[in-house]
Amino acid sequence: MNHFDEMACMLYLEGQLDPARAQELVAHTGECAACRTLLNALESESHLLSAALTEENESMPARLLGARGWSMPAWVWTLAFGVFAAGAYWLWTDGISPWLDQLSNAGFGGTDLVSMILFSGAFWEGWGDMADLIQIAALIVVVVGGLLLIRRRLRRVSAIAVVVAALLIALALPQPAGAADVRRGRSVYVPANETIHNDLIVAGPSVRIDGTVEGDLIVFTRDVTVTGHVTGDVIAFSAQALIDGRVDGNVRVFTQNTTLEGSVGKNVSAITNSFDLTPKGSVDGGLIALAGSADLDGKIQRDLLGIIGRTDLDGLIGGQVWIRGGTLAVASTAQVAGPAEFHGREQPVVATGAKLASPIQVEITQEVRRSRRSNAALVIHEIFSYGAALLAGILLVTVFPGYYRATLRETRAIGLPIGVGALALLTGAFLIILGILLLFVGVGAGIAGVLGYAPILYVAQVFVGAWLGIKILGEDSNNTNTAIGRIALGLLILHVAGLIPVLGGLTWLAVLLWGTGAVLLGFYRMSRVEIAALPA
Amino acid sequence: MDARRHPEGMNPAEQSGAQERIAQAKAGDAEAWGELYRQYAPAIFRFCRRAMPTREDAEDATMDIFIKVRQKLSQYDASRPFGAWLYTVAANHCWDLLRRRKLRQDLETGEIENMPLEHPDPGALEQLIEQHSNQEVRRALDKLPARSRMALVLRYFADMSYDDIAQTLGVRRTFVGVVLLRARHQLRDLLQGSGPRNLAEEGPR
Repeated sequence: MNHFDEMACMLYLEGQLDPARAQELVAHTGECAACRTLLNALESESHLLSAALTEENESMPARLLGARGWSMPAWVWTLAFGVFAAGAYWLWTDGISPWLDQLSNAGFGGTDLVSMILFSGAFWEGWGDMADLIQIAALIVVVVGGLLLIRRRLRRVSAIAVVVAALLIALALPQPAGAADVRRGRSVYVPANETIHNDLIVAGPSVRIDGTVEGDLIVFTRDVTVTGHVTGDVIAFSAQALIDGRVDGNVRVFTQNTTLEGSVGKNVSAITNSFDLTPKGSVDGGLIALAGSADLDGKIQRDLLGIIGRTDLDGLIGGQVWIRGGTLAVASTAQVAGPAEFHGREQPVVATGAKLASPIQVEITQEVRRSRRSNAALVIHEIFSYGAALLAGILLVTVFPGYYRATLRETRAIGLPIGVGALALLTGAFLIILGILLLFVGVGAGIAGVLGYAPILYVAQVFVGAWLGIKILGEDSNNTNTAIGRIALGLLILHVAGLIPVLGGLTWLAVLLWGTGAVLLGFYRMSRVEIAALPA
Repeated sequence: MDARRHPEGMNPAEQSGAQERIAQAKAGDAEAWGELYRQYAPAIFRFCRRAMPTREDAEDATMDIFIKVRQKLSQYDASRPFGAWLYTVAANHCWDLLRRRKLRQDLETGEIENMPLEHPDPGALEQLIEQHSNQEVRRALDKLPARSRMALVLRYFADMSYDDIAQTLGVRRTFVGVVLLRARHQLRDLLQGSGPRNLAEEGPR
């Protein structure tokens, strides 16, 4: 009988030989030592292969095991954001602020409008250095993006680097922010004989300060009344704010109604429905107001800068006046030491006795006219923006295919992402305004928030475009080129639609809400894959 | 000869409990899905680790496979063992990835089929096997061309049937034996240190 070949032996071991031939093989190996040895050797080889393949020689990688490893992108962003906020704060307290003080001492902090906006305007503090801040933020975004790209190799190193950077910046902070006195309750009352040697942060339905706060006063409340003395700034977020006492620092309010009867040592900035500066009230700095109406009966030592619906000016302005709004009435008791400028719908009414350094420069704006760009410019702009969006899409698909797929899945739900998007945009806008307004968080943090938002808003269109492309061309076959083709088509449609006057705006609004929601849900689901997969 | 298989999470005893969880996961129960993941992820990761050239590839593939599985869960036919189905999804995913990377190399199957394989010297083969550790075998496996490695992994790790292997690799059923034997030969050549024959024709993995 002939020897069996290796193939037959292997197939026999694998149970793939037909019974007749298998029997022959068994009979043959009973007699033939060479074939028996081969069969045994092949079987050992099978065992060796199985053993080598199934042996557990490596542990499961952390990112597959649980949320800890996998949640890295989320916490890196959070940390980067924190680092940025801390960095901006540090930059301000250690860098810009002292420098501005020096400038002020050198006489640059005067009452002219430009320097008020750029330097002494409390509301706009630091805007002059915006370029730096944006550069730092952009740098951080780039660095974090880079880290994410090379995260495979640098997973640990990057984590350590971010943590170390955060620690260094934390160490560099001159004053730890945790030293404030925080109070919460139904109503918070600081009696006249009490002195708080610290910053005071209060939240409650109503807050009344008759005593002394040696530091900043930060309130979140319905009604706030300050009759006492605050040596630092007053920052109020409330429905009603009455300041009847003395504030040595700035006053910044985001309120329904603001009444200022006391004295403010520095500047006042207000976003409010009605602003009332009573005859007793005085501001040693300037006033920046974004208000529905303003009654200015008291004294403002420096400039008045406002976007105000209705302005009644009865008191004194030590510097310039610049108002944009509906109406302006200047009473006979009013005094303006510097030049005055008014942009509004109606000619201002100036009483005869009013003491103005110079006549008010008036510019009547009949209707808010939208400057329409020429069609050609519009189309060119749209082409550029289409190209950029497509580039973003290509990057997403090639660099983060997993995230792209996850987010695309979320996009399909339509209703849920639109809801989430609307919610996120509202809260985000709210937080950013809050962040910018309350300078203890800082302009920097507000901008960081915007910068964090910008990429999300930007890639939102990619997913809506991809969804549209898939609706038209059908599912992509899970490969990069077909996916990019669908994104390209979808984005093209969106950008062409964007050129149509009213419909275009609505389209973009829908895209923004829908896409943003999908992007956020995508992030959420990406982390949930493992969180859901591995309940703790 | 079959004491070897069933990487953890894949044995029949655990199947019945798994079926219940699969049904729950199908209905959208995240907790049940989590348990399934915990049970099967290590095996799938190791499968990917063997099939894919780098650890990072294996990690990414594992993620993607489970995302895919979750989507496709409704298509799972409960009469089949879940583990086997999971391996089919995993195998198809990995093979797709590998093929996309080296599209050409694995398409021409005709010539390989005709290439004769030298009959081994049984004694020498036995010796060769005794001399090598699991780790050395794994190292050699990593150097195999993609299809050879994949075939060995499908057969000796995932315990797939010849039919499933044929389907995954896109070859004829009768050709699976040839691919496997050929892969063994290449592996032996690597273990002998002489380098596998015909690797040049098949190109790098």
